[in-house]
Amino acid sequence: MLIVGANVLTGTGEKLEGVTVHVVGGRIAAIGPGLDDPDAHVVEADGLWLTPGIIDVHSHLGNYPAPAIDSNSDGNEMTAPNTANVWAEHSVWPQDPQFPMALAGGVTTLQVLPGSANLFGGRGVTLKNVPSRTVQAMKYPGAPQSLKMACGENPKRVYGTRNQSPSTRMGNIAGFRSAWAEASSYRHKLAANADGNKGEGNAGADPGLPERDLGLETLAGALDGELLVHIHCYRVDEMAIMIDLAKEFGYRIAAFHHAVESYKYADVLAREGICSAMWADWWGFKLELFDAINENVALVDQAGACAIVHSDSARGIQRLNQEAAKALAAGRRAGFDISDAEAIRWITSNAARALGIEKDTGSIEVGKAADLVLWDANPFSIYARAQQVYIDGFLYYDRNDPERFPLTDFDLEQTARGRQL
Amino acid sequence: MKRAQQLLSRVIIALSMSFWLHGSALAGVAIFGGTVFTMDADEPRQGVTILIDGGRILAIGDDVDIPVDFEQVDANGTVVTPGLIDSYTQLGLIEIGAESSTVDALVTARDGQDGVKSSHELLGPAFNARYALNADTTLIPVNRIGGITRAVVAPLVGNSPFAGWGAAIKLTDSDILVKPELALFGRISIDSTQFVGGSRGAVIQHIRFALERAQSLNAEPYQAVGESHSLIDLAALQEFLKSKAPLVLTVHRANEIREALCISRDFQIPLIIHGGSEAWKVADLLAAAKVPVIVDAMDNLPINYDQLGARSDNAALLTAAGVPVLFTTEVTYNARLLRQTAGNAVAEGMPYMSALAAITRVPAETFGFDSGVGTLTTGAPADIVIWNGDPLELTTWAERVMIDGEWIPMKSRQTRLLERYKVLDRDKPFAYH
Repeated sequence: MLIVGANVLTGTGEKLEGVTVHVVGGRIAAIGPGLDDPDAHVVEADGLWLTPGIIDVHSHLGNYPAPAIDSNSDGNEMTAPNTANVWAEHSVWPQDPQFPMALAGGVTTLQVLPGSANLFGGRGVTLKNVPSRTVQAMKYPGAPQSLKMACGENPKRVYGTRNQSPSTRMGNIAGFRSAWAEASSYRHKLAANADGNKGEGNAGADPGLPERDLGLETLAGALDGELLVHIHCYRVDEMAIMIDLAKEFGYRIAAFHHAVESYKYADVLAREGICSAMWADWWGFKLELFDAINENVALVDQAGACAIVHSDSARGIQRLNQEAAKALAAGRRAGFDISDAEAIRWITSNAARALGIEKDTGSIEVGKAADLVLWDANPFSIYARAQQVYIDGFLYYDRNDPERFPLTDFDLEQTARGRQL
Repeated sequence: MKRAQQLLSRVIIALSMSFWLHGSALAGVAIFGGTVFTMDADEPRQGVTILIDGGRILAIGDDVDIPVDFEQVDANGTVVTPGLIDSYTQLGLIEIGAESSTVDALVTARDGQDGVKSSHELLGPAFNARYALNADTTLIPVNRIGGITRAVVAPLVGNSPFAGWGAAIKLTDSDILVKPELALFGRISIDSTQFVGGSRGAVIQHIRFALERAQSLNAEPYQAVGESHSLIDLAALQEFLKSKAPLVLTVHRANEIREALCISRDFQIPLIIHGGSEAWKVADLLAAAKVPVIVDAMDNLPINYDQLGARSDNAALLTAAGVPVLFTTEVTYNARLLRQTAGNAVAEGMPYMSALAAITRVPAETFGFDSGVGTLTTGAPADIVIWNGDPLELTTWAERVMIDGEWIPMKSRQTRLLERYKVLDRDKPFAYH
């Protein structure tokens, strides 16, 4: 496939004009002027805009599907403050009608996370937004899983109102530390066992495998760096404590989510290499997000830290380009010279980095997956609509072709979309 | 004609001059140039001059002379619109949604209030938002610097399918209440069935019984209507019926919208539908009954069994059918995103001028605001926003906002936080910045 003539926001901070993007075997084979391939399907894209597929690092699609009824409310295992043993992927309903709606907004990749009721919510999963019968077929090949943690008001409210721990912020931290301490010990036992099996030292001292514990296995995976740590955390003072914990127990934090106060701590977050996944303008409904400002994303970005615009919303995920546009406008209004090409990183390459898939997607570069969105206008315009959405080079959505408009089973003859077609 | 206008403007200017000479603290304001959406025409006007004094627009036109002592605002390169109006908010009623001690938007039995035995003892339709309005809320500055100048404040359904009386406010520093008892609010959805036993049908019957009982309140001695309404509530409903104020019902499903139309017809009540996810299905009925619909154009999710028919082009379809459309963001904190909802409606097929009218002139007319609100016309209260581009584009922002003829300070808690933390390498602790 050749996509010819679009304005290309590459996701690397560049804007290319009048170039052709050559896709072969689902991957980007070449980018440049005047490329040709007589066997290729040609997409004439004069006047259109091409961006990498949009990536949402914080979604609950499939776990909190539409319709939001008790039957399929599967996003928060609110039965204990530590449910590190649960995996969000086991709650994903592939027939959630919100998946194709996000696709129509250009979203090609999303991380589905457990909710934030618990200190340890469980494992998150990164999906490609492809229509499928099963979650297995949606899982992003090779993407690491994540560990979802939550600071602040949610865990202490959920358990405090049941007269359980945690009921305070200090209870939250104690809950984190005791779990990490246990996980460290579990991990040492595993390591000692592995050493013993190698025949090193005294074979008689083989401690034997500890009894398998699914929750501790998750935390040990985070300590090993195999699972990326994503933390729901609003306030700067709590971020600082979470960074201390990470150092105490020896794990890395990939991203703070919601992170409405990252602008107060952008210098430290840049130094620590921690991403902030942020809303453009949500604020107010809890005290811990009362200090949100619209310039948050831009200030984090300008400080040299990794800035991401996320949705946490089935409404927002359909319009992440608009969320980024609002963050961009706030930054410009505050006096920062931020280009469209730089801002698109907030919903593409920076998001890919936080998910550990930046080598495979998130930008339009040779060798990467052809996860692409063709827009009818500058994607930061409110009038822009995704015209075509490609995942691994396959056209999964075409606004002008009903044949390329996925419908879930649930949609059929029930929803407005399912009745129109 | 032109000469008559000139003459008129001179007279007006002379009047305003004399007003000023007689001791007004400030001369007026003249805004000239730019693309001006007056909202009384199908097209924007270019390069007109707007004179403002005494809180109102004194004159607007091509040949308006600017008095020397007026503040002159060069609006060339900008877009000038009336202030935006959100048709459904809880501004002044909610500070922090998750903190019940800061929420005055609804009347409901809360956890731990064992003394409250039944809905009978709490206010239903008699609840009146005017008494809860907090002019000092931090939400007003945040939203008005985003161009929102007036809003409908609606109580939320708590203890009865009737939420109570709502009000019109302006987003000024004080005296925000403009029109109390603006409309009576209520809800027909699965959410409002909890007090009537679980069926949407029971909600509709409950509303009808209550209105019937209120109609006959004088004719017969009061009798308790089971657990449903107190005498206070029935008296409030009777006042409502007399007032001819509109009933704003939050209704999404086509079935219940039809029932709401029947209530409007049978009780001779002006009706406004709020929510209306499936209003497009009954657009012809709504148009025939001249019933306006307050929608959120971004509300396209089949998020529950009231809204399976939600679609992105609802506002476009309603407009095409001749139904007056008004917009809300549904999120009081971010009423400032009203233009995002309007912009998305345009992207989904609603004519641009209709979408702009849906956040200016149409809500003002629908709710009976002061004459001229929502327009830039002579005599109108001067609510004006100067934008640095297309107001429906999110990359645009409001540069200056005027309410009732006064520029508001472009300041909020959020702008103060920005000033404090914009530079992190400080010589003094942040608390001193």
